[in-house]
Amino acid sequence: MTDSAPEPLLALSNVNTFYGQAQVHFDLSITVGRGHIVCLLGGNASGKSTTMKIILGLVRPRSGDVTFDGASLLGLTTPQIVRRGIASVPEARRLFADMSVRENILMGAFVRNDRDVVAQDLDRMLTLFPKLGQRLSQRAGSLSGGEQQMVAMARALMSRPRMIVMDEPTMGLSPLYVDRVLELIRTINQEGVSVFMVEQNASLALEIAHEAYVLQTGTIVLSGPAQALKDDPRVRDAYLGGSEAA
Amino acid sequence: MSSWLDYTINGLIVGNVYALVAVGLALIFGVSRLINFAQGSIYLVGAYIGWVAVVQLHTPLPLTIIVVAVAAALVGLIIERFGLRPLQNSVRIAPLLATIGISFVLDQLVMLTFSPNPRALPSQLPDVRFQVGGGTIGPLDLLIAGVGITSALLLFVFLRYSKLGWAIRATAQDRDAAMQMGVDVNRVNQAVFGIAAALGGVSGMLVGMYYNQIDTAMSLQATLKGVVAEVVGGAGNVPGAVVGSLLLGLVESYGVAVFGTSYRNLFAFLLLVVVLVLRPNGLFASARQAPPEPLTGTFIAPSRPVRIPRWALLVAAGVFAILPFFPVSFYVLQTLINAWLLGMLALSLTLVAGTIGQVSLGHAALLAIGAYTSALLSLNFSVPVGLAIIGGGLMSAALGTALISPSFRLRGHYVSIATLAIGEIVSLVILNWESVTRGPIGISGIPPLSLFGYDLISATSIYWFSFSAMVVLALLQGRLLGSHLGRSFRAIRDDDIAARAYGLSLNRYKSLAFIFGGFAAGVSGGIAAHLYSYINHETFNTQQSILALTVVILGGLGNVVGAILGSVALVGLPEVFRIAAEYRILIYGIVLLLLVRFRPQGLLGTI
Repeated sequence: MTDSAPEPLLALSNVNTFYGQAQVHFDLSITVGRGHIVCLLGGNASGKSTTMKIILGLVRPRSGDVTFDGASLLGLTTPQIVRRGIASVPEARRLFADMSVRENILMGAFVRNDRDVVAQDLDRMLTLFPKLGQRLSQRAGSLSGGEQQMVAMARALMSRPRMIVMDEPTMGLSPLYVDRVLELIRTINQEGVSVFMVEQNASLALEIAHEAYVLQTGTIVLSGPAQALKDDPRVRDAYLGGSEAA
Repeated sequence: MSSWLDYTINGLIVGNVYALVAVGLALIFGVSRLINFAQGSIYLVGAYIGWVAVVQLHTPLPLTIIVVAVAAALVGLIIERFGLRPLQNSVRIAPLLATIGISFVLDQLVMLTFSPNPRALPSQLPDVRFQVGGGTIGPLDLLIAGVGITSALLLFVFLRYSKLGWAIRATAQDRDAAMQMGVDVNRVNQAVFGIAAALGGVSGMLVGMYYNQIDTAMSLQATLKGVVAEVVGGAGNVPGAVVGSLLLGLVESYGVAVFGTSYRNLFAFLLLVVVLVLRPNGLFASARQAPPEPLTGTFIAPSRPVRIPRWALLVAAGVFAILPFFPVSFYVLQTLINAWLLGMLALSLTLVAGTIGQVSLGHAALLAIGAYTSALLSLNFSVPVGLAIIGGGLMSAALGTALISPSFRLRGHYVSIATLAIGEIVSLVILNWESVTRGPIGISGIPPLSLFGYDLISATSIYWFSFSAMVVLALLQGRLLGSHLGRSFRAIRDDDIAARAYGLSLNRYKSLAFIFGGFAAGVSGGIAAHLYSYINHETFNTQQSILALTVVILGGLGNVVGAILGSVALVGLPEVFRIAAEYRILIYGIVLLLLVRFRPQGLLGTI
């Protein structure tokens, strides 16, 4: 927890997004502070994944602005945004299933041209994710869900991003891996990478996040420090249910 | 008589040539999920550039290969940049149709530049043959094998070890994820089109040298063969495409050895249909893999159709019905008769391609079946012409549906490939089944149109006959679309999985659509046969299938009035503007391209 509010790394301001006639976001404003983990909570069809797509340039908002490190991302293509220092761990991981684990991790370094340092970084990933060491030449599609999540995170880190956006990183994982993934997100964050993650599993996400936003049908209904939200009865009722009380 | 070894060598050499085309198709399919129907046109362009280089510029062979590869690659880049990139956010049918339009334009441009007459393309290699076992092999065989193997190796190294190669593989597996790694997919598309075109162009040149002949008919054949090889190997699977090509080469070569040359293509297309039906993901895909097509969502541009008031339709129909009472020229009536015949084909195609979403590229086969049936019924069995035409319609409905039914489980592009292949198969069976169809000689002396014993010879009576046949079919189809049946058809088009979940039997509804559509097309073919009095296996060709598709898209897919309007427009406008016949196909291609780009829903909108 930081006390002083640092200048935000990423800021979405008054974003309105439409799919055809249907409005997905209503004046959405979110900021991610430098070195923070920020979590976006929300149920199905709340517009969470679209928020990720807006940041990555896969969907364009009709109005509003998205800035990263003070410069607008609007009008940039996804590859250009990636080069600015945003990496992603997509929903359902989206590995290149027929490429090897090593190739998948190295694809993360696609935007870099320093081959020697990339090789060092690969070694670093293997210390961070020791399990992947034995799997390097295996087809990525043949790994278990948890292992695939490790590869997806390693892949994202390989571009040496300033921020990683993650879409439901714990979805479909066994409880053991869920804990492991959360721990890793914390580790990554401690190394100076900001994290913006979308989650349905509110209790877990609030465990590691600094700040959180709650999105409901395209509108932010609640936001604040994660600790405060965790105790907020409205969040508890809507997302945490009985599990947190138990 | 050559030995089996000779046939094997020939099969492998031809297979090598196919591989150069198929590998390009596989790369493009991998990256953009698109079957590039213009690949054969690049092959054609390559052959003619080769001809210019060898015959006019006298370049030495290695330089010729480089010139052809570079020039063809440029054509590929232009196609990608101006033909396909603008369609990136378009409906999924758009790029497919665009490649068809591009292929028409390129083929016609080559034909207009070099004339359709065949030309010799000497290989500049010494004409010697070496004894190998029981067979012989020549320097050109070795060159083709060498080019094939070298290209495959280069491609392998490129894909495995270069950064761009990695980007191509990653994009092929997950386009969005690749973008999120910073891959510029436009550059990947460019690279893939460039490589595919270079390989395709060189392939065309080598084939020209192999047969020492090039002509503009090469294009469609090359596309078809490449597609067959690619699908056999598994769409998007590059090594699979090589193996599929060699297999195709061998199957054809042995087929020719046993049955004769005119069976070559029949074997190719039968192989395709068998693979599509039994293993739609290719011979090497594991069975559990889902076909590489999005599972839901419509293939067709959705739109709000233009509402035309009933009285306006009645007035229009009335005007056309009484038109012969006015002093119009024979020429106008003749043109409109052609429009009505095409209109019936378009009604059929708009139902099959538009309403139920099975984009058929072989619709002319239904015309051929109807025409042959009607002609043979009236000639051999003295059936009255009116009844014979209905017989043609029924035969087209039955046979057409039976032929397409094994492919009912396919989706999207695969339906188009299957129908294209079935169209070719029908034409090849007509060519080879001499005892019934009289083979390449065709059928002549077909009796003229008649009704209740009265011959319809005057333009006026033929006009009324074809017009009323079309109107009746259009009214029936309008009724059909308004019924629950029409709704079920559209449900299947828009989301076949959801439709099935609601209890619709896909096979039954697709059959119904093809039966109705087959009948309309068969009647059109039947009338045409009696009108022309002579038909052969080439009277109803792929060009007509594509023309019908252009008509249907022009009018708005699924739109009954649109189909008729489209026919009148595409038949009539070139007449109005007195455009010379050789430019017509070019214009149809350009119309198709413009439509896909600017108005994919057609003039009156899809229904």
